[in-house]
Amino acid sequence: MEEELLDAIFAAILDGDIPGAPGAVQAALDAGLSAEKVLNEGMIAAMNRVGELYECGDYYVAEMFTSAKTLQAALGVLRPHLQQSQVQSAGTVVIGTVKGDMHDIGKNLVTMMLEGAGFTVHDLGPDVHPSRFVSAVLEHQPEIVALSALLTTTMPAMKTTIDALVAAGVRAQVKIIVGGAPVNDEYARHISADGYAPDASQAVSLARALMVN
Amino acid sequence: MNARERVLAAINHQEPDGVPVDLGSTPSSGISAIAHYNLKHALGKAHWPTQVYDVVQQIAQPGEEMLDHFRIDVVDIGRAFDDRPEDWYDITLPDGTPVQFPTWFKASPQPDGDWEVFNQNGVRVATMPLGANFFDQTCFPYVDGYPASFDDLPNVMPLVHWAGLAHSPWDHAGEADFWQQLRARTLALRASTDRALMVVIGCNLFEWGTFLRRLDNFLVDLVTDQANVERLLDALMEQHLQTLANVCAAVGDIADVARFGDDLGTDQGPFMSPKTYRRLFKPRHKLLTDYVKQHSSMHTFLHSCGSIYKLLPDLIEAGFEIINPVQTIARDMEPVRLKQEFGKDLTFWGGGADTRFTLNRGTPEQVKADVRSNIEALAPGGGFVFNTVHNILPDVPPANIVAMFEAIDEYR
Repeated sequence: MEEELLDAIFAAILDGDIPGAPGAVQAALDAGLSAEKVLNEGMIAAMNRVGELYECGDYYVAEMFTSAKTLQAALGVLRPHLQQSQVQSAGTVVIGTVKGDMHDIGKNLVTMMLEGAGFTVHDLGPDVHPSRFVSAVLEHQPEIVALSALLTTTMPAMKTTIDALVAAGVRAQVKIIVGGAPVNDEYARHISADGYAPDASQAVSLARALMVN
Repeated sequence: MNARERVLAAINHQEPDGVPVDLGSTPSSGISAIAHYNLKHALGKAHWPTQVYDVVQQIAQPGEEMLDHFRIDVVDIGRAFDDRPEDWYDITLPDGTPVQFPTWFKASPQPDGDWEVFNQNGVRVATMPLGANFFDQTCFPYVDGYPASFDDLPNVMPLVHWAGLAHSPWDHAGEADFWQQLRARTLALRASTDRALMVVIGCNLFEWGTFLRRLDNFLVDLVTDQANVERLLDALMEQHLQTLANVCAAVGDIADVARFGDDLGTDQGPFMSPKTYRRLFKPRHKLLTDYVKQHSSMHTFLHSCGSIYKLLPDLIEAGFEIINPVQTIARDMEPVRLKQEFGKDLTFWGGGADTRFTLNRGTPEQVKADVRSNIEALAPGGGFVFNTVHNILPDVPPANIVAMFEAIDEYR
């Protein structure tokens, strides 16, 4: 019974069944499954599988996005229960697209994938001034700050943002990860970020690895 | 060989007398206004105007003297419009660069430094935040869902900034004698230049879905709501086939290349599976290319960013002869691999210089090495027109552009 309920959540997320997923979560909770079990063994397990399917080329961005949206729908039902039962978060992330850059599709996908991996994510949106990253770090005390940029011309705002975190004296308390089309490992090192990931799936692996270290 | 013969030989997979070169024949093979301004100053040609003909992307139309200076082989027929001084006005971009905008285009600077664009009904259609160098779309007409009927599609499409703020010649498309003007001006251009002529048509399908529904929604639609996606695509095809009929009738016997667009790839792979492409888009792309082949002498060109390696066999079957911008740093898009696997079937229009790392931040010597290696991979046997991977962006130093052309000159 328990396995069937978890399988239904797993399948709904994998198949991108946006209307069906909240019901599957509600059914599991109604049957007495803990919020933690639903999250870990239903939702996170499904998103891990989505990541694997994307990385091996069976899923494309369209499928990954649909699963991520399905997860959002499912989390809408689960979130109040997670808060009530004080389930341990995988970590806290502050994320945003840097100043001057309006592009947030990639950043939104990373946000959803991180939530699917059990992280608490504070999304500051696109075109975020460095000072807003600083105040969000002070407010939310995240372990990770994630910066996104789509353009070679806005990418330097990643450096400006990191400089602002240094100037505010909070750089040492966070790990900074960067991503977006023009960014690569070399640039991440150049601006003293702690990591770079080429896509949303690998961003999750990177965030997990940084939490362990 | 003259410039046009050089381009046509390459497209016909014959090795021309030198590598044919494009700069500015499409809004994805050109140069940004800021880079253009910096380049002309570095060349000691401060008097060349920097005319922003594609206001969305802030791309400059290279003038005749720049085309001659760099020996460019192909031009956009759009340059035959907006050819009077009064079609332009002087303006200073937020970074201080003085340029010219077309007189029909007005942006409204905001107190916070952002520039906004409103249409004639006061709808905010585009924004350029402080620090950015082009306008992003702000109005997504079908973001909340598909309408029951697409009868109003022709009125809805101009709410999308790509259509509402279209580059030349389409900025004149609303004029009563537009198609006659297009033919007359293209004939005059043909008579005045031996360069090949490009007509930028668009007829985007996947992208129009993302413009109308917004990318995140449309990606989900591809997986969960294919019935509505097909309804929308059919309505778009009605518009596109009408445009195509008009284009072929007006310039199909004059222009050499018909440029379609549809960005199907991300850096890591296509947005959708080949199966989804085959089901939703391929048959419709085939209708577009068939029409061009049956009703004109033009070659078919597809602009698609990103890693499209997995879609290339289907794109070839869909009837595209040329692909651009050949985003060589995306996954599976290495020039040697592409030439080996698809060189017989496709002309690569692009892939000549990386515009994300090397051209922007490399040394002139690194730029030359990149250019030589790409030309040597893609040019043998024809099937190659040199072009940077997409537009030259504002952060590219003039010395690197000059180095790029010096390296090209070794092959022509």
